[in-house]
Amino acid sequence: MIEKFREINSSFPQTSYVKEHKSSGKKVIGWLCTYVPEEIIHAAGALPVRITGYQQEQELDDGTAYLYVNNCSFSRSCLQLALRGEYDFLDGVVGGSTCDGVRRLFDLWRKYIGTDFHQILSIPRKFTESAHELYLSQVTQFKQHLEEFIGAPITDEALVKSIELYNETRALLKQLYDLRKSDNPPITGSEVLEVLEAGFRMPKEAFNQLLGELIDVLSKSNAENKGRARLAVVGSVLTNAEFIKSIEEQGGLVVTDELCTSTRYWSDPVVLDEGKTPLEAIARRYLNNFPCARMYPSDERFDRIIQLIRDFRVEGVVSQIIRYCVPYAHDLPLLIKKLDAINVPVLALDVEYGSSGSGQIATRVQAFLEMLEARK
Amino acid sequence: MMDGSSNKIEAIIRACSVITRMNKALPDVPESKNMYYKMLTDYFTRVQRAKEEGNFLAAHTVFFPTEILYAMDIVPMHTETTTWMIALFTGEATELVTAGAEIGLASEICTPHRGIAGAFSLKNALPQPDAIVWSNLICDNTAKSGELIAELSGSPGYFLDHPFQESQQERKYLIGELKGMIDFLEHQSGKKMNWDKLSEIVAFMDRQIELFREICELRKAVPTPFSPLGFMDLLTMDYFFPGQPEAIEYLETVRDELKAKIAAGKGAVDNERFRLMSLFVPPMYLMGFLEKLSHEYGAVSVTEPFFTHWGEGKLDPNKPLESVAQKAYMIPEVQMYGPMNDTKIQRVADLAEEYKVDGAVYYADTGCRHTCALIKLVKDTLSDVDIPMLTLDSDVVDPTMTSEEETREKFEGFFELLEDY
Ligand code: SF4
Ligand code: SF4
Repeated sequence: MIEKFREINSSFPQTSYVKEHKSSGKKVIGWLCTYVPEEIIHAAGALPVRITGYQQEQELDDGTAYLYVNNCSFSRSCLQLALRGEYDFLDGVVGGSTCDGVRRLFDLWRKYIGTDFHQILSIPRKFTESAHELYLSQVTQFKQHLEEFIGAPITDEALVKSIELYNETRALLKQLYDLRKSDNPPITGSEVLEVLEAGFRMPKEAFNQLLGELIDVLSKSNAENKGRARLAVVGSVLTNAEFIKSIEEQGGLVVTDELCTSTRYWSDPVVLDEGKTPLEAIARRYLNNFPCARMYPSDERFDRIIQLIRDFRVEGVVSQIIRYCVPYAHDLPLLIKKLDAINVPVLALDVEYGSSGSGQIATRVQAFLEMLEARK
Repeated sequence: MMDGSSNKIEAIIRACSVITRMNKALPDVPESKNMYYKMLTDYFTRVQRAKEEGNFLAAHTVFFPTEILYAMDIVPMHTETTTWMIALFTGEATELVTAGAEIGLASEICTPHRGIAGAFSLKNALPQPDAIVWSNLICDNTAKSGELIAELSGSPGYFLDHPFQESQQERKYLIGELKGMIDFLEHQSGKKMNWDKLSEIVAFMDRQIELFREICELRKAVPTPFSPLGFMDLLTMDYFFPGQPEAIEYLETVRDELKAKIAAGKGAVDNERFRLMSLFVPPMYLMGFLEKLSHEYGAVSVTEPFFTHWGEGKLDPNKPLESVAQKAYMIPEVQMYGPMNDTKIQRVADLAEEYKVDGAVYYADTGCRHTCALIKLVKDTLSDVDIPMLTLDSDVVDPTMTSEEETREKFEGFFELLEDY
């Protein structure tokens, strides 16, 4: 069953679904950062596609020549793919002012790639009511610009349908994650990442269908994954499932994560309340969602990590931070302190984007697992 | 927590007084230089004595609306620039940066911030602030550092969220954030905001901006009358003394000195050969060396697009809070903050032309991501108007990054290239 998702990922970044969508004359819009509401793109009849970098660690000569060596390898990897024409299929690109890496990636993308439609949303760093007002104004403007670009209005009705569809994805992903709460989950952490990856480059209608089938199969299967210790992976953006696989091959049981490509992506539904427009409901969810390390106060993020640790009975945390990813690197000393207070050890790894977790990293994971076992 | 070996502020004060004494003994030291060191001494003395004098001390990050602190009679301590000054005057920044690494900050976090966090983790390196106030101007380091240093110093904190772009809604948000900060400070310090004083400070700040603009105009003269790296002193004026009368006095003195030099046909260097554009901050530990090199080669920085050129606009003392928000959008460095659109980048090429620039130097600071990510864009823009650019890998604070020899070699090569251009 996982094979189906793998097959979709094999034609990264332009999957067969992207090709099919384009050939029907419809737009494909790339989004950078989880603060860009996909529902709006979907409701406009366009296919939202997540912009990420190479699936494996790469030499990033072009990316580095443009973004310089001290920007995170995620932003350099994305830009290099675009510079080499791999994202030429995009009709638009939408980003958020999330961090230095992404805002500069957006600047250079606009200048050197020149995708037709481009917009960067100002994302406040707080959760206050006035931050919500500001974010809503940005989302409203984005919707208007997209309408102009597409040449058709995005109706409330279409937005509600998109919300329902995306909420279904979120609910299914939650079911998938709940299966990982068992002692011996039927699916590995690396497989889950592969599933999510496919979902970023295919219509959610088809993804939900496949995901539903997968959950059915898993719920009935006798497959069991055993491990030496239950782990959570936290930190910078991670798309290479090999990284998690290498931890699992050493006996680590990755049961959950705090990554913008997984839990932080799907965790909170859009709540369609009485008296709130669909756009207001979307804006509220995206700003209040499981926060990125850029948000203030950091305790909002730390508290949710601690909750995950409890829910999934995590024994150790693997923090993987991409070099020059300042938001996460800055939070690390504080996070370690918080987790130390609840007696959960952290393995802090400095990685490059796309790392497969081999070599020195593997040795450190091995030592970490031994330490966790010795504590039992 | 480990023990700090000395109080770093004390060391800065000592160094500034030595320089002031030495300057007095030298002929030809411009009056503005003496004023500058006196101002620094006073600034750090206020920081040092805040506690014993019963004043409220607030540590704050760069491009912060310090006007509000001054209007509330709160003593400000600029975090990043304090690390720079420690590097510049005492050469003791490495110890702080190492301490930052020891509390778990990755080496990619810029040294001013690793250094300041390190300083707060050491005993007695810096005075204990009564509050930490910080904003996300101008990068992720500033945005993230406050929470950590508040935790390390055990001080309460307020994060001022500066919006990314300039829409009406964003200005409204910024004003709300400023109000929130005033409430926080009133609560923490027991002091009330003095709105009349803020209006007065805003009026002074407006005058300060006018003077910055006048000084820039004067620097267009050939030969340029302004010292090769003097722009760093100008930056300090806004960092430390926004809307303060002594800054106006200082800037007027600088302006008059420049006028006198122009009238006498004298340049800042004896034989001006290369008019340079500077981008970002030169390494503090090489300042003396770079100054020497400038005189040796007749090379002088005449313009710094993102350091000395204020954005358009005026401040209105009748609307003090709106003006503090307005100023935040006019600060030269803040032009680098929002999206780097074509107008902003074209301005770099226009300035090169207006200031008759021969070449540009980009100080590529290892820890400074958002500035380095513009190197290619600036280089391409300048190359369109035939201006070559030297990129110098460096670090503002960490002396292990670049040596004098390497820097000399690079500059010499660049000057040769300019010669043949
Ligand atoms: S959050 Fe980190 S990894 Fe992601 S784009 Fe920003 S700096 Fe890069
Ligand atoms: S050196 Fe760069 S990264 Fe550090 S505070 Fe200054 S602008 Fe930010």
